[in-house]
Amino acid sequence: MRFVWTTALKDWRRHRRNPIEAAIWIGIPLLVGFLIALAFGGQGGHTPQAHVLVADEDNSFLSQLLVGALSQEAAGGFIRAEEVEQDVGRLRMDKGDATAMLVIPEGFSQAVLLEEPVALQLLTNPSQRILPGMVEESLSILADGTFYLHRLMGEDLRTIAQGPPPGATVFGDAAVAALSVRVNQLTQRLGEYLSPPLIQLETSIDEDQEEDDEITFGFLLLPTILFMALLFIAQGLSEDIWQERTRKTLRRVVVSPQHILAFLVGKIMSGAGIVFAVCLVALCVGYAYLSLSVTTLPLALVWATLSGAMLMTGMLTIQLFATSQRAGNILTMAIMFPLMMVGGSFFPFEAMPKWMAAIGTKTPNGWALQHFKGIVLQQTDPGSLGLAFLGLLGVSTVLFLVCAWRLRRGFAQG
Amino acid sequence: MIEVEGLRKQYGDLVAVDDVSFTAEPGAIFGLLGPNGAGKSTTIGCISGLLKPGAGRVRVLGHDVMTEGPLSRRKLGVVPQELALYEDLSARENLAYWGSAYGLRGSHLKKRVNSVLELSGLIDRAKEPVKKYSGGMKRRLNFACGIVHEPEALLLDEPTVGVDPQSRVRLLDLVREQSKNGATVLYTTHYMEEAEHLCDRLAIIDHGKIIAEGTLPELRAMLGERDILRIMGKFDPNIVFETLSQLEDIEIVQADEETITLATPQASTRLSDILMEISEEGFEVRETTLTQPSLESLFIKLTGKELRE
Ligand SMILES: Nc1ncnc2c1ncn2[C@@H]1O[C@H](COP(=O)(O)OP(=O)(O)O)[C@@H](O)[C@H]1O
Ligand SMILES: [Mg+2]
Repeated sequence: MRFVWTTALKDWRRHRRNPIEAAIWIGIPLLVGFLIALAFGGQGGHTPQAHVLVADEDNSFLSQLLVGALSQEAAGGFIRAEEVEQDVGRLRMDKGDATAMLVIPEGFSQAVLLEEPVALQLLTNPSQRILPGMVEESLSILADGTFYLHRLMGEDLRTIAQGPPPGATVFGDAAVAALSVRVNQLTQRLGEYLSPPLIQLETSIDEDQEEDDEITFGFLLLPTILFMALLFIAQGLSEDIWQERTRKTLRRVVVSPQHILAFLVGKIMSGAGIVFAVCLVALCVGYAYLSLSVTTLPLALVWATLSGAMLMTGMLTIQLFATSQRAGNILTMAIMFPLMMVGGSFFPFEAMPKWMAAIGTKTPNGWALQHFKGIVLQQTDPGSLGLAFLGLLGVSTVLFLVCAWRLRRGFAQG
Repeated sequence: MIEVEGLRKQYGDLVAVDDVSFTAEPGAIFGLLGPNGAGKSTTIGCISGLLKPGAGRVRVLGHDVMTEGPLSRRKLGVVPQELALYEDLSARENLAYWGSAYGLRGSHLKKRVNSVLELSGLIDRAKEPVKKYSGGMKRRLNFACGIVHEPEALLLDEPTVGVDPQSRVRLLDLVREQSKNGATVLYTTHYMEEAEHLCDRLAIIDHGKIIAEGTLPELRAMLGERDILRIMGKFDPNIVFETLSQLEDIEIVQADEETITLATPQASTRLSDILMEISEEGFEVRETTLTQPSLESLFIKLTGKELRE
C-alpha cells in the first residue's frame, strides 16, 4: 500500500520537473478554445462583442501584424478592434466607451526580434464583468501563442475560423486528420516558445467605473476547454508508461518484491492527482468568471477528476497494446482527436449539427462532458447522477483490469 | 545462496540458455564469464524473476523463484546491464524510491540512502537530477540502487561496461565489499581480467551452455600449462591438420582456411619448428599470436575463438 503512495509521489515529482509538458496540455486547449470562440461566436447571434481600442506606439511591421491578427480574428465577431491614439483612447476608456484598450509600447518589435521581454498593456473596463476577462485571456494567448501560431499554421487557423466548407456541416475526415497532425507538430514546436514567455501582458483596471452584469456565452466553452485539456492530459500521461519501459525502470519494479499492480495503481493515482489539480484551478477560475453557484463546484470537481482518470486509463490501455512507443503515440493521438472533435471537446455540442451531437454524447468524453454540464447547471437528478458515477467507476475499473493484465503479460518484461 | 539447476530459456527457435546449472555460495563472488550473446543476461533475468524459465529450477536464498516469487526477491539485489534510473529525479530520490520498493522506510531508509551515496561517491551531487550525471556516475547510481536494501544475494550484470577507470575501480571495490559482508554475489562479465581478479569461482558460458566451471586455479589446470598459438594466413585445413598432427605434444584446437589454433607447452621454443612445417607445405603465414595460460586461452581452447570477437 505504501508503495502505491511512493510511486504516485515519485511521478508527481517527475511531472513537476517538466512544466513545458503541462503548459502544452493546458495551453493548447485554451488557445483552441479561444479560436473556436471566434469561429462560432459570429453565428450565435447572441454573442456579446468586445470593443477593443488599440494604441500602437511602436507602429512597426510586427506591431501591425499583431493588430492585424487581432482584427482578423475579430472577423469572427467577438472582438472589434479600433486603432486610436493613446491619449484619446484613455479618455474614451474613462468614459466607458470600450471594453478594453491595448497599448503596444514603443520598441515592441525591436524587443521581440532581440528576444527580450516586453510588456503589452491592457487597460480593462470594470463595468463589463466577463468581456474584459475574455479579452484579456484572448490577448494573453494571442501574445504568447497566436502570434507564433500565425507564422506556423496560419492556413489551418483560417480554415477553423471559417468553419466547415460551404454545403458541409462538419469538417471532413481528411481535414480533421490533417489538422490533428498539424496540432501535434505544433505542440512540439510551441514548446520552444513557451518558456520563457516572450511577450508579457500587463493588465490594469480602469477604476472609476461601476459594475454591471452581462449574459455569457463563455459558459459553453468551459466544459469544452476543460475536457479538451483532460484529453490532452490523458494522452500525455499515458505515454509515461513507455518512458518507464524504455528507461528500464519498469523492469526494476518487476524484479522487486512489489506487485506490479501496486505500481499501476500508484501511477494512475499520480495522474488523477494532476487531473485534480488542473480541474481545481480550471473550475475555480471558470466558476468565478461565469459567476456560477459554488454549491455545485465540489461535485463538478469530483466528476471531472474521475472522468479525467477514466480517459487516462483508457489511453493507457491503448498504449499497453501498442507495439512500440511511436505506435502507441500515433494510436492514442489518432483516437484522441476524433473523440475530441465529435465529443464536444473541441466544438461545443451546441455548435454542432444535431445528429452529430447525438453521436458525440455517446463518446466517453462526450458522455462525461454532458454529465459535467448537468452537474454544473444542477439539471441532473440524484438518481441518474448516482448511476452515472457507478458507470464511470465501472468503466474505469474494467480498463484498469485490462491494463493490469497486459502489464503482467509481457509489457513490463520488454 | 543462489542455486540454478538445469535452467533453460528459449526465444522462439533460439535456445538462449541451455541446461545451465551452478551454485553461488554466500560470502563469495561467482563469475559468469562469456562473450556477448552467450546468455548471461538471460540467466540473470530468470533468477531475478524478470523472465520465466522454460525449464529447470532456480532458488534464491532457499526460495524457489517460480513458486515463491515475491519471497525470493525480498532480499535479492539486482543491478541490470542497462541503466534503470529516473533521469528527472536526483540520486537521492531514485535511491529512496527503490529503497521503498524493498520495504525500507523512515529513518532507516534515510540512513541507507546516505550510506550508499557515500559508498558510491555520489554524496556531493546527490541532489542533482540524474540527467546531469556522467556515464560513470550513472553506472555507480545504478549499482547503488541495487544494494540500497542490503541484499543477501546480489545479481550484477556487466556493471562496469562503458565505465571510466576511476568508476570501475570504485565499483569493483563495492562488489568485493558486498561479498565480504556475507552476500552471495553473481557477477557476469565479458572481461576476463575482471573475472580473474574479482571472482572466487567462475563458470564460462558460450552459446547458452556452461563449458567450464571451477576456481581460477582449477580452470588454469584444465589448460595444463599449455600456451595457445594462433597462426593467421592461408591454409588448407586438412593438410595442415595432417602435418601438424605428426609433431609431438601439439593439440590442434581449431583449423580453417584462415586461422589455425594450437595448444602446446612452451610454444615460444617450438614456434620455428611449427612455422617451418607449415611453410614447407607451401602455405603463407601472415601473423602469429601466442597467449600464455589464462582464462582467455582456456576460452580459446574450449571454443576455438577469442572471447572478444
Ligand atoms: N527478448 C529476446 N528475444 C529474442 N532473442 C533474445 C532476447 N533476448 C536475448 N536474446 C538472444 O538470446 C541470446 C542471449 O542473449 P543475452 O542473454 O542477452 O546474452 P549476454 O547477456 O550474454 O550478452 C542472444 O543470442 C540474444 O540475441
Ligand atoms: Mg547481457
